[in-house]
Amino acid sequence: MKQNIIYELKSQLHKISSEEERKFLWRKYMGKAGLIKKLLGNLGKLPKEKRKSEAVAIQKIQKEAIDLLNRKENEIKKSEFKINLEKDAEQLEYTMPKIGHLHPLTQTIRMMNNFFIEMGYSIMEGPEIETDEYCFKRLNVPEDHPARDMQDTIYIEEPNYFLRTQTSSIETRILEKYDPPFKVAFPGRAYRNEKVNKSNHFVFHQYQGVVVLKKVSLKDLFGTFNYLFQRMYGKDVIVRYRNKYYPEVEPGAGPDMQCFNCHGKGCRLCKNVGWIEMGGSGIIHPNVLRMAGIDPKKWMGFAFGLGLDRWAMAKYKITDIRTLLGGNLGYKYYENENTL
Amino acid sequence: MKILYSDIKKLVPGLKAIPKQMGEFLTMAGFMMDGFEEIKYQGKKDFSISLEVRHNRTDCLSVIGFANEIAAKWNLKVKLPRVGAIPASAEACPTLSFRRASVGKHELPLQKKSRNIEIVNGKYIKRVLAYEINGIQNKKSPRWLIDWLALYDMNSKNLLVDLSNYVMLLTGHPSHLLDTTKMHGKLHWDMNKKYKTITTLDGTLVNLTRDREIILRDDKNILALAGIVGGKKAELDLNTTSIIAEMAIYDPGTVRKNSSGTRVITEASTRLSRWLDPNGLDYAMDLLINLILKYCDNQKAILKKFNYYPRKYSAPKIKFDPAKPAIYAGIAIAQEEALKILKNLRFTVKKNGKHYLVLPPTDRLDVTLEEDLIEEVVRLYGFEKIPVSAVPKLEVVKNITPKVVNLAEKIRDILSILGYDEILSSPLTTKESNKLTNYTDWELVTTQNAVNEEYPDLRQSIGAGLLNQLEEYEKKNLSFIQIFEVGKIFGQIGKKYEERESLGILIYDSEKNNDINNLKNTLETILRYLGTDLINYNKSVKKPAITNPFSCYDVIVKNKPIGIIYKLKPQAASLAQRPWQLKSGKAYFAEINLTLLSDIINTFKNKTAVELTKKLVTLDANLELSKTSSVNKLIENFKKKIDRRNLWSIEIKDAFPVGNKVKYTIRVSYQELDDPEAKKLHLKLFRLNS
Repeated sequence: MKQNIIYELKSQLHKISSEEERKFLWRKYMGKAGLIKKLLGNLGKLPKEKRKSEAVAIQKIQKEAIDLLNRKENEIKKSEFKINLEKDAEQLEYTMPKIGHLHPLTQTIRMMNNFFIEMGYSIMEGPEIETDEYCFKRLNVPEDHPARDMQDTIYIEEPNYFLRTQTSSIETRILEKYDPPFKVAFPGRAYRNEKVNKSNHFVFHQYQGVVVLKKVSLKDLFGTFNYLFQRMYGKDVIVRYRNKYYPEVEPGAGPDMQCFNCHGKGCRLCKNVGWIEMGGSGIIHPNVLRMAGIDPKKWMGFAFGLGLDRWAMAKYKITDIRTLLGGNLGYKYYENENTL
Repeated sequence: MKILYSDIKKLVPGLKAIPKQMGEFLTMAGFMMDGFEEIKYQGKKDFSISLEVRHNRTDCLSVIGFANEIAAKWNLKVKLPRVGAIPASAEACPTLSFRRASVGKHELPLQKKSRNIEIVNGKYIKRVLAYEINGIQNKKSPRWLIDWLALYDMNSKNLLVDLSNYVMLLTGHPSHLLDTTKMHGKLHWDMNKKYKTITTLDGTLVNLTRDREIILRDDKNILALAGIVGGKKAELDLNTTSIIAEMAIYDPGTVRKNSSGTRVITEASTRLSRWLDPNGLDYAMDLLINLILKYCDNQKAILKKFNYYPRKYSAPKIKFDPAKPAIYAGIAIAQEEALKILKNLRFTVKKNGKHYLVLPPTDRLDVTLEEDLIEEVVRLYGFEKIPVSAVPKLEVVKNITPKVVNLAEKIRDILSILGYDEILSSPLTTKESNKLTNYTDWELVTTQNAVNEEYPDLRQSIGAGLLNQLEEYEKKNLSFIQIFEVGKIFGQIGKKYEERESLGILIYDSEKNNDINNLKNTLETILRYLGTDLINYNKSVKKPAITNPFSCYDVIVKNKPIGIIYKLKPQAASLAQRPWQLKSGKAYFAEINLTLLSDIINTFKNKTAVELTKKLVTLDANLELSKTSSVNKLIENFKKKIDRRNLWSIEIKDAFPVGNKVKYTIRVSYQELDDPEAKKLHLKLFRLNS
């Protein structure tokens, strides 16, 4: 019977899985009325000389039974813990939290701002309702100047107040307000009385800058542009700088980028010229400095301007300029193409 | 402007540059080549080069102008077509009047009228040079002339007209020829006093305005719009035998206004609406007359000259330092090279002490300052010689970026992380949109000539653009919209126009899962991130028409109203055609004055880091308030009563409406206090019994 106790205990422990069942077995074998206790109780019925050896044997069985029962307890605890963990576990569901997007023009402006901030420029803005003084006269464009032909104006109070036709009006305000030296970039909107269609809008966006220091040159200006274009288009971009006329600069210059479509051979995109005009620039005209109260004998500067809309459209594959100002502009929920 | 390679070769003897080289030089020197074509002219291979002419280079609206540029580049001289002396006289008649007019050292006869020509009103006339020619015979043009004009995209009319166009393209000076047998009386230059229309040479009837246009007329009819186009009345034909050929220079601004006012743009008006050299008329007219006498039958030709030139134009003498082009370019340009370039460009250069005095040719009216001379040197020297690869090292200067610029950028970042999409909209909007969204005490700003008459007004609230976008997105079935815009809004206060930088945020939810507090939380996330939690809300007094009036609040930061937050009503009456209506769902809007906020933000300091040495003690309190009472104000008051060093957080844990009251559970966490201390403070604060 003694030999069978451990064998049976093992067999029964193998079949159980809960603590309740284990406690039942504990009581059955180790309890006050348990099988092992009975064996110990029967020691008195044995002859004296056999009692000691029998007690040792029963104690050995008892110890083994306790070990088995304790081991089973641990095993059950681990298993229950694992089951609880499984019950507590949470599964990953397919969700797509909403993320927001910045407007293509904002991203474009931000990229340019970051570039110029790195070059030590401040970033400015200015009023959109402007006067003839700041938008034309102070840019060396008097009333009968041919350059005024180029711009048709949206008036608020003709001829004194209108929506600025170029962001160069911010330049005149900067020149007036701040003492040199300074380097400032200023993105903004401009307005011209033009028919709206797929490629033209009466509201458009420009990026301009002005630098006034003791000494600057065309080499500084071209170097700045070149560095910017390499950032925008990669190191292999080919740009040339040719003489151009703007009343507010002298000498005037304009960067042309080699057409990325035909690589200079001529195609529809570049109107068979092989080059794409990117903007305008030049050394600030002394009249412009003088009108701002800056002595052109002591200070020199350069100014530049680029159009933003077409660049943003090309970058984001927007085919209709009207999309930039709402309406058809949407942001795809399931894609986040941030290729800047 | 097109030029033929063969013409340039004739005008610039010794020129070896090939057409492409010429085109590339001119492009870099300020005249973009936008067309290059191999053609056949007079049976020979030739090239047509099309170039953009810059606005200030009217001298280059001519073949000779470009010849001057090319000659200068290749150190050559222009050889003009030879003109012989013209056998003409200034007519002597009782009406002739001579008056000496002096400009500086020049003295000219001032001829205002002759027997057949009179300057009635010379206010906008710089010069008139005219010839009366009798006894010639007009006819068809020779082949070379017809073909030549065709290459310049001009149709042949008859010999006299064709020669006039030929001289215009060659010299840049337009002329106008009138058949005197079709005229009544004298030819007058005058302001339009009575004519309502003119039929132009191509048969178009053009409306005119009294006292605006400079005209040519006779004693009966209007004959031409001066500087723009001739009229049919005195049109030349193949029977013409007597003409007046006139060339004139007018005030360019007046010609430009007349041309745009009558919507007539011609080769002549393109030139005469810019500054042309009055002195250039002499050669141009001589050339024209020579050609007329050469090609028309002219055995009996009689010529009479008329010359009205009250103030002769003289070019200014400009002081020039030949070292300056190198400074402006940023590269070495030898002083001798600079002076040579100017001389090649026909500038007269004389040494004057340390500097030079430079006299531009009179056809270079664009050159008046030393900087203009510097540009001439650098562009002829070659912009392509200026290296571009070095990143400029300009001096470090102070940062003057205004706060509102950085503020707007931070707000954009916060909102995009919170899941909002940015839109941009046109600041011009409809009257309805402004009426629906304006909540500020300022007047409307309206444009006088908007591109689209339906959108004439500048927006008074950024909501106008966001509402428009919402309508578009609704049409496209977007069910959940979170959008924002940062931009200008406009108004007028008294006589002053005002602009403010504004932030607008809009949430639309077709499934109605959101409420106004979602937007409020967004707003507060922005404001708290920027450094303030002193945010309050008052029921708005001035409400926009589109709001649910019971759900409209002013946003107050540090006791200053900086914006508004409201729930949109599902529909709103508006002025007319398109009343506002939400298809379904709910929409909420908030607007913040960023210009004002950027001033307030300056005063905030961000001190949120603390050292925790004890555990937090968290206690609740139950309060009952009427529905109209503000629990936010109550909480603000509690905050004021607790030392900031002991307050970790205070929040509304639960709100339960009961009748016309609300039961709140307020949870307060205390820091750096023991349990008894915290409990004592809590009981006192909320007036609770222990």
